[in-house]
Amino acid sequence: MSSIPSALMFESVSKRYGAIQALKGIDLDVAAGTVHALVGENGAGKSTCLGITSGRVVPTSGKVRLAGVEAPAGRPREIRNMGVATIYQELTIAPNLTPSQNVFLGQFRSSWGVLASREMRLRYEALALEIGVAVHPEIPAGRLSVADQQVLEILRALASGARTILFDEPTASLARPERSALLALIKRLREDGYTIVFVSHNLDEVLEISDRITVFRDGQTVADVARRDATKHDLVHHMLGDGKAAAMVEDVIEGGGHSARPVSTEEVLRVANVALPGVLSSVSFSVRKGEILGIGGLVGSGRTELLRCIAGLEPASTGRMEISGGSVAWPRSVRAALSHGIVLVPEDRKGQGIIPKLTAAENIGVGNLSRFCSNWNVVPRKLQANTAGPAIAYGFDSRRLTSLAGTLSGGNQQKLLLARASVTNPRVLLADEPTRGIDVGAKAEIMESLRNLASEGCAVVVVSSELEEVVALSDRVVVMNEGHMAGVIDGSEEPLTISGILKMAFGVEEDAAPALRNEAVSRGTA
Amino acid sequence: MSETADRTSMTPDRTMEERIFDWIAVYGMVVVLVAVLVAAVLINPNFFAFGNVRNILSQNAAVGLVAIGATFVIIGGGFDLSAGAMYALGAVVYAKLATMGIPILPSMALALALGCTLGLVNGLLINVLNVNAFVATLGSASMISGLAFIISGSAPIMARSVEGFDTLGRDRLFDITYSVYLLLAMFLVMSFVLHRTAWGRNVFAIGGNREAARLSGVRTTAVSVSTYALSGFFAVLGGIVIASRTNVGQANLGGDVALNAIAIVIIGGTTLFGGEGALWRTLIGLLILAALRNVFDTLSLSNAAQLFAQGAILVIAVAMDAYVRGHRSR
Repeated sequence: MSSIPSALMFESVSKRYGAIQALKGIDLDVAAGTVHALVGENGAGKSTCLGITSGRVVPTSGKVRLAGVEAPAGRPREIRNMGVATIYQELTIAPNLTPSQNVFLGQFRSSWGVLASREMRLRYEALALEIGVAVHPEIPAGRLSVADQQVLEILRALASGARTILFDEPTASLARPERSALLALIKRLREDGYTIVFVSHNLDEVLEISDRITVFRDGQTVADVARRDATKHDLVHHMLGDGKAAAMVEDVIEGGGHSARPVSTEEVLRVANVALPGVLSSVSFSVRKGEILGIGGLVGSGRTELLRCIAGLEPASTGRMEISGGSVAWPRSVRAALSHGIVLVPEDRKGQGIIPKLTAAENIGVGNLSRFCSNWNVVPRKLQANTAGPAIAYGFDSRRLTSLAGTLSGGNQQKLLLARASVTNPRVLLADEPTRGIDVGAKAEIMESLRNLASEGCAVVVVSSELEEVVALSDRVVVMNEGHMAGVIDGSEEPLTISGILKMAFGVEEDAAPALRNEAVSRGTA
Repeated sequence: MSETADRTSMTPDRTMEERIFDWIAVYGMVVVLVAVLVAAVLINPNFFAFGNVRNILSQNAAVGLVAIGATFVIIGGGFDLSAGAMYALGAVVYAKLATMGIPILPSMALALALGCTLGLVNGLLINVLNVNAFVATLGSASMISGLAFIISGSAPIMARSVEGFDTLGRDRLFDITYSVYLLLAMFLVMSFVLHRTAWGRNVFAIGGNREAARLSGVRTTAVSVSTYALSGFFAVLGGIVIASRTNVGQANLGGDVALNAIAIVIIGGTTLFGGEGALWRTLIGLLILAALRNVFDTLSLSNAAQLFAQGAILVIAVAMDAYVRGHRSR
């Protein structure tokens, strides 16, 4: 151990959200003056770690030390004064203020109540010069590019005297040249003695700039390695863990979800050249009757947007669409998509799914009340009786049809949404993260429901961050990477595996792949 | 993000405190109404005398009708500040047409059609041009008010001489004015429309979660626009009742009607956030305000004091709603 205290140290830090243990006794040691990366699957605990460090999240137990001093838990202001700044994915730029005002936001310099604009501007220029960036100081910050806005956030952190800077997915919203500029800036900050902690999904970046890498899985740190000892394959393997490696083996051996369910050759939906400016470009695929098509890829790869485009929620999108072989106008409204038999079960259950103050029965019937009772006499009892069928079919307890949807558990809400989608007799069901935040039992039921829908002849498209699920459910998988299609894996031609999807999504070289698979197999069977 | 989303997966057990607040959220205003009525009887032993009750209802029929329309807009997640101006316009147009020699019923129908049309324009401004509801109806209120002044030439339009003009507001059946029957009938009919028709349920749906409703195939724009048209209709109907009651069409009587109507809805317990509420609540709110006003009159409180008291009651009602909301189960 060096004599300089670690910039950041976690001592068996745990965080529990109700029944969910987000962090299970984490130890973390970030040496001063280094770049330290936190990697892991979604929900592995990286962001919770950042939240605790910045004081936004209060740990359930454990201590955090900043440069050797115990940090006051859940006191963001005090922690900031201790020299720790956090830069979130959603930037906190005031769009109508100038860059220099943004940099000094919250710490405006003034004399006698009058803004000392000149002093701030000089200080701004000095700071910018110090780290070698140039952002015009006088135009409204809202007109700057995301990359420049991020630079402002960094300058703001420096202006506040931060010595440790936390980044949450700093490159996720940047184009490639901007990424390299940011990475260069991070390297420069390290040379100047700053400590950088950053969360990233991009393993290439992680390997390029970090000195040390900590891998999170299920709320624990499973590996803590120096960069020179790390390889991309090791990292992916650590991220997945033995359990998933075992599942992967199962998939290899049993062929995953590509099972007894017959898939017809009849194409229900074909889309070509789907594009959404700045997000998606030239995505083309088709789904057949009775088929479950998985969309794999990382968060931010455009999976959700792809579904939204097809469901008519992105009027700016373009593309060509064929329904059962006949070409139709690209849907620009939900009702247009619905008229083609395309229905979306959205990712954001609370924000876009349920209507919390209506009963479960009404939530199933909304938009289609006439299917259950007369539009001119919506009798609650009749509505309940007639929605019980779809409710039960999706595993929803029909006795709870009178409950307000907002009081139901996530699993029950999701069952409601599937039941709602099913009453339109959809030809194509798009399910975005259908099992997110749902307990294991309900998860299995929902996966079963999706399979049943498919066996009844519906074409199902599933987006999920849980790759085991994608593998278990899908007949084919479209892999997305940064708004493009990285490829398609057909379960009838080659086994669907998590590593196969990840390799395609991360762009890992082909020759190294068998090693990973073999290792997984040997571990799983050991 | 995913960590916090996990919290939704737990079915909450309501605590005793939450149960109490849930109960208050539903029935609190009924308790308040009972308390107000008890206080009213203590202050004025003749409060429940037939003549007094009849007067209270008759005096408040007009604003009650406006509040019915406001209920739909608010449950649909909107806001209509133009109802007061619409109310004055209704009175003026009805009086103008009637004094021009057009028969009573067609005069009413034309005024109501105008109210619907202007409400429709409000709805389109808000939903199609995406003007903030508050600003759009504040602006249209001013324009509609101007229109009422132009039509009336800034002078009261006397309609005493027109046969049948005051039938609705002054003539009585079983010693109760027709306007009271109209009010109660509208409460019944619109209650059915709000709670038992697909359109009414869609109003709740768009107010509760517009995006979810849209994804489910509800014509969210059409439903929202129609609530504003309905609000225009009921505001004009209120104006017709007041003109008929006073035998005058005046452009300057809109004043605080819009705010009173919104106050009635909110005091009844329908929340300003939309998606939740009921028409019977509006009736409770109307009765609370009407009873209070009657008590103030018996106490011969000055207009200024009444104005102050009414504002205070509105603020207290909304603060209570916010407080109860913060403590009940979600």
